Amino acid sequence: MPIRFKALSYIYNKDMPYAHKALDDINLEIREGIVTAIIGETGSGKSTLVEHLNALLLPSEGSLEILDYNLIANQKQKFLKPLRKDVGLVFQFSEYQLFEETILKDVAFGPLNFGFPLEEALKRAAEALKMVDIPEELFSVSPLEISGGQKRRVAIAGIIACDPKIIVLDEPTAGLDPRGAKQIIDLFISLNRKLKKTIIIVSHDNEMVYNYCDETVVLSKGKIRYHGPTLELFADQEKLKEFNMLEPQIVTFRNLLIENGFKVSNEARTLDMLAKEIAGQIRK
Amino acid sequence: MNNLVFGKYIPIDSFMHRLDPRGKLIGLFLMIAAVFVTRSWWVFLGIAVLLAIALLLAKIGIKMIVQSFKPMIVMMIFLFVINSLTIRTGEVLFNIGTYPIYEDAIFNTLFVICRLLLMISITTLLTATTNPLDLTLGIEWILKPLELIRFPTHEVAMMVSIALRFIPTIIEETIRIMNAQKSRGVDFENGRISEKIAAILSLIVPLFSVAFERAYELADAMEARGYVPGAKRTRYRVLKFRFTDFMFIFICALTLALSIASRFVL
Amino acid sequence: MSLIEVKNVSYAYNENKKVIDDVSFNIEQGTYVTIIGHNGSGKSTMAKLIVGLLPVKEGEITVDGITVNEENIGKIRTKMGIVFQNPDNQFIGSTVKDDIAFGLENKQVESKDMEAIVEEYAEKVGLTSFLEYEPQNLSGGQKQRVAIAGILAMRPDIIIFDEATSMLDPKGKKEIKKLMYDLSQDKDITIISITHDIEEVLQSDDCIVLNKGRLFMHEKPDKVFANAEKLREIDLDVPFIEKVREAFRKNKIKLKADDLEGMVKELCRSGSKH
Repeated sequence: MPIRFKALSYIYNKDMPYAHKALDDINLEIREGIVTAIIGETGSGKSTLVEHLNALLLPSEGSLEILDYNLIANQKQKFLKPLRKDVGLVFQFSEYQLFEETILKDVAFGPLNFGFPLEEALKRAAEALKMVDIPEELFSVSPLEISGGQKRRVAIAGIIACDPKIIVLDEPTAGLDPRGAKQIIDLFISLNRKLKKTIIIVSHDNEMVYNYCDETVVLSKGKIRYHGPTLELFADQEKLKEFNMLEPQIVTFRNLLIENGFKVSNEARTLDMLAKEIAGQIRK
Repeated sequence: MNNLVFGKYIPIDSFMHRLDPRGKLIGLFLMIAAVFVTRSWWVFLGIAVLLAIALLLAKIGIKMIVQSFKPMIVMMIFLFVINSLTIRTGEVLFNIGTYPIYEDAIFNTLFVICRLLLMISITTLLTATTNPLDLTLGIEWILKPLELIRFPTHEVAMMVSIALRFIPTIIEETIRIMNAQKSRGVDFENGRISEKIAAILSLIVPLFSVAFERAYELADAMEARGYVPGAKRTRYRVLKFRFTDFMFIFICALTLALSIASRFVL
Repeated sequence: MSLIEVKNVSYAYNENKKVIDDVSFNIEQGTYVTIIGHNGSGKSTMAKLIVGLLPVKEGEITVDGITVNEENIGKIRTKMGIVFQNPDNQFIGSTVKDDIAFGLENKQVESKDMEAIVEEYAEKVGLTSFLEYEPQNLSGGQKQRVAIAGILAMRPDIIIFDEATSMLDPKGKKEIKKLMYDLSQDKDITIISITHDIEEVLQSDDCIVLNKGRLFMHEKPDKVFANAEKLREIDLDVPFIEKVREAFRKNKIKLKADDLEGMVKELCRSGSKH
């Protein structure tokens, strides 16, 4: 079942003189099982949009259908906890949420809150930590003593361990070095490919979006300007110009290849895949 | 947190906003002294009239002042109950059940409450019309004589202004960490005591570690820009007394004088 | 004599783990030098050593011929400013103009002269209409520009940028990189920038690569990236064109061109040969 925003608006400081409409009549369907990117300039409403997905914010107008839940404006909500278990939200600079004495305990914190028995919570925590590449000898170390990139991965493990059906990441690679960023991108791609998780990712990194995200939503001033296949968005020069987006270099390269008579499939969105396809054609 | 009115600065331009913060601070002390010294309803009325004029000059609606009373309601009720139980002078006005309520209990309490409300209104007026930074400068100036006994007024003022500067940042941070923990299943509103404690820890620990990190980085940034604690510095913001400031202080002083006089005359 | 000379410097936070290990390099007056390396390579420690926020225990650093140590630190601080990574944690004043004035107050500039200086440098970073703004109403890029104005107002010879763009959105990054480039055109100012940003390295004069606390390379940016394979080995990012070269090399196709169009032409040629 897709995630459905229906005529959803969100107003900060409602009924105050300085009220501010951060989301304006959003109608949007996000498909299950794919990677969707949400892009837009700072202040376009991206974070407000994703904070609705696990009911940290409730719609001021309209409604949101997600999994079996239906969040309707001005209605009391009772099932927040199960919803938050099913929709994991990884915040920007998520390393700042770590607080337990050991890494393992910190990752088990979420599962325990969501009612998993202690033993199972610890087992899930250990599995999640393995997935994010944290070696076992670090499990009993304080989460405040590891490097920034490791902290970020521990924070993500804290969400994965709750076994959410949908994982939402708000600029998960901001402030990391290229190696740290790559590890995190690889991680959420494998979550999608292997475990069929629905991934929603807020990002400023257009090249990453092009490489890995199936669909893209462009937000501007609280309104949706585009929603569709990522490939189509980046193939449309006029749209890129309209949204004030730079064409990623990989798109430039891909277009050059096509202009020069090479055949490029829709799947070839990373350099490695492009090179493979082109090499195949040259050798023939 | 946005509903808290007491102590909030309203960034507009008005006659009251333009007054020198030192003058306003002195005025505040004089007026509060006047409210405390007097035992006369007439003086209260006079001060209330002055306050109304100041509010008009400050372009601040009466609504904000009334809102600033809200947190005091519990205390007022408490006062009423205590006074009704303890004060047993004057005539009996009425009975609650079999318990007699005396005239003095009612009037004394009303008087104390009026005193409190006036004090809050005066303070709210000061903070609403004075930029926190200017207020710090004013406080620093007033504390200046303490430097004779080696009190570090300048450092204290610097600390206060940095604290004020970081309040909005820390509030933002708190909301962000709360949201992150809510996403991990923490319920800040409901739950047993043990769950509440865990919830609060999950907020406090990260908040402290962020605050410390900020503090270290800020210290580095200050040091790198040539700040040495205790060293001589010049000031970008310079305060200047003008004629209106003296007039303002004069009016406040006059009020205090009349208030003192009221104890002997009325 | 070079403006900054780093001679055999080592540094360890705890006894047994050296973060900086016997590093030497010189930086010339008026140049724009970038320092790259993955997290934990010692980049930020190096910056802190140069500005004296950490004490030099082994080796020597001189700035304009003066040894960086506790005794000289006051003299050296007047020569340089540092822009840090987190825009919020270096905003000291309550408003833009108060923040720009902060360093001037420390320098004991006369109060009456400050207004003009504050306005001059606010204009230089394009924030004239934001003088009264408080930090919570500014974007990350704008806050970094305030920090830069505050440092420029102190008329330093050297400005160090410690990952000053890494927490900004693309718009903020672009703003600050442009400003850094403009500043680098003023040959009275020497710029040292610690960064992950390839584009920024390409706009600098020289690039120092650190790896595990050691000096890995010190070359012109194009020379540094000509060693793309070596950089990839130590997990550093390389320009897109080098990534293309690498992707095709994995498929046993060697590309020699220096731009994308050249590469596509090469591919066409080898395609028609077969």
